[in-house]
Amino acid sequence: MGGAVLVGLLAAAPPLLHNQYFTGVFIVCAIEAIWAASWNFFSGLTGRENFGTALFIGGGAYTAAFFNSTFGLNAWWSIPGGIVVAVVLGLVVGFPTLRLKGPYFALATLASAAIMQQVAINLWQYTGGSEGIYGLDRLVDSSLGYYYFVLAVLLATVLVLSLIAHSRWGTILRAIKGDETACQAAGINVTVYKIASLALSAAFAGLGGVLFAHYQQAVTPDDFDVFLSISVIIMAYVGGIGSIWGAAVGGILLNLMLELLRGMGEYRLLVYYLILMVVLFFMRSGVVVPLWRRLSGGRSA
Amino acid sequence: MLTVLIYGAVTSAILAMLAVGFTLIFGVARILNLAHGAFYALGAYCTYSLTATYKVPLIVAALASVALVALFGMAMERVLVRPQRQSSLAVLMITLMVALTVEQVLFVVFGSQSKNVPAFINFPVYLHGVSLDGQRLLALAVAVCLIGALWLFIQRTRLGSAILAISQDPEAAQYMGIPANRIFSLVMGLSAALAGAAGVIAGPFLSVRPTMDQTAMITAFSVVIVGGLGSIPGSILAALIIGYSETFVAFYLNPEWTGTVSLVAILLTLVLRPAGLMGRAVGA
Repeated sequence: MGGAVLVGLLAAAPPLLHNQYFTGVFIVCAIEAIWAASWNFFSGLTGRENFGTALFIGGGAYTAAFFNSTFGLNAWWSIPGGIVVAVVLGLVVGFPTLRLKGPYFALATLASAAIMQQVAINLWQYTGGSEGIYGLDRLVDSSLGYYYFVLAVLLATVLVLSLIAHSRWGTILRAIKGDETACQAAGINVTVYKIASLALSAAFAGLGGVLFAHYQQAVTPDDFDVFLSISVIIMAYVGGIGSIWGAAVGGILLNLMLELLRGMGEYRLLVYYLILMVVLFFMRSGVVVPLWRRLSGGRSA
Repeated sequence: MLTVLIYGAVTSAILAMLAVGFTLIFGVARILNLAHGAFYALGAYCTYSLTATYKVPLIVAALASVALVALFGMAMERVLVRPQRQSSLAVLMITLMVALTVEQVLFVVFGSQSKNVPAFINFPVYLHGVSLDGQRLLALAVAVCLIGALWLFIQRTRLGSAILAISQDPEAAQYMGIPANRIFSLVMGLSAALAGAAGVIAGPFLSVRPTMDQTAMITAFSVVIVGGLGSIPGSILAALIIGYSETFVAFYLNPEWTGTVSLVAILLTLVLRPAGLMGRAVGA
């Protein structure tokens, strides 16, 4: 019920505002919501905080740029290409690092993402260095049309990941977060579940990266720095750790809030972080999901 | 060759100053402090501001900066971190917010251009006919003295024993009457002071910008993980390895690849020795 109202609002807002700029804002909101949802699927459920989701996002985006701009393929090839590359990156990073926990896993993923960014800068012959790659085609010609396409992808992402999170698979991931050794003792192949979940999370992050690249019609290494990984984590945390739809709503809300603060000029980010600091201090289990529980009188969404 | 050896030692010493404080507060209080890089930036900016704006003599400004950063760290621990200590993720997020906020404050107050922090020694020092930057040599000496003093403090004094006791078994230590919260506060102050001092002493030969905390934070984090979280000797060893490998790559190969080489080294360590070089096996 609440979900339907929310989707209705999201679908109605850009045509009502009728402004090219705001449509762009909403496109970015929806793309970042996809990233936050994909992050929360793996890290929120397994308790392994991935500090390198920029690796998957950037992998998808650079694949789109290579396919479409460098090789001149049709723009729609970017989507399967970006997803495949992100999944491969997920497997490559996942196999050696998934036995790590807590800060060790965080640093391993952070380092992987930072390596990709530096390689993208240093191999400038192929990647355009810090200038990046320009001249990508649009997937959908009109902004509004592209917004509805991205919104549909976001809904599909939230639906698919939520279904999996509430299935046996999701239960096992939560059990791994609780006690990994006990899961192994119960005969569950923990490694397979962890790797598959990371790959799935990477697939959606990469898909979001492709959508972002075709929206900007350019990719630069600066778009995929540590800061991106951290903002995605903040979105998921504000949404509520472990909740797919909560993370998506968190992503949208934070982006809209940042947009509303645009009038503050150079104080914008300072005010934004101060608000976040106060909010996170008083609402330790996130904002969106706990608030929704309270508003809906304890019923789960 | 002598230049490379000495500059490698300088880089390692600064890294060690950052890493030792970071690992200490984790080892004792289990606080993974993502604002550690912000202490470093604050140290450099405080000295800049005190000397350039308020015309305070350099030595006074340097000591005052270190003290201010230590107070800032203790205040952060008391007000923001302590109520969240049960959840490691909450601590991570709140210290991350402190780091981002400090960065924005520095940006709003000082702008994004880099600032020049005055050096204690402005003249080159000649050693075997090689000219070396005096400030870097001073930084090396100060780092060695401070880390040595910290080591003696922990190993030789009653307070140091209390710190060690808490890090080994917090519950048992509290039963013995060691006031855990006051020890955490003290260790956070020490950790912040060390990071602030690194900023003060390395500021003159680094570019002091609002975003300097990020690189510092990531490198300190890496050094600490490679050395083994919570182990001070491990951090020093790892600082030497990473400091020297970065310096060698910068001198003999290509400065562009320094960051990548150390990142690959970190990944390899994590994969081959998940608990770090000298850490207890808690990583895997």
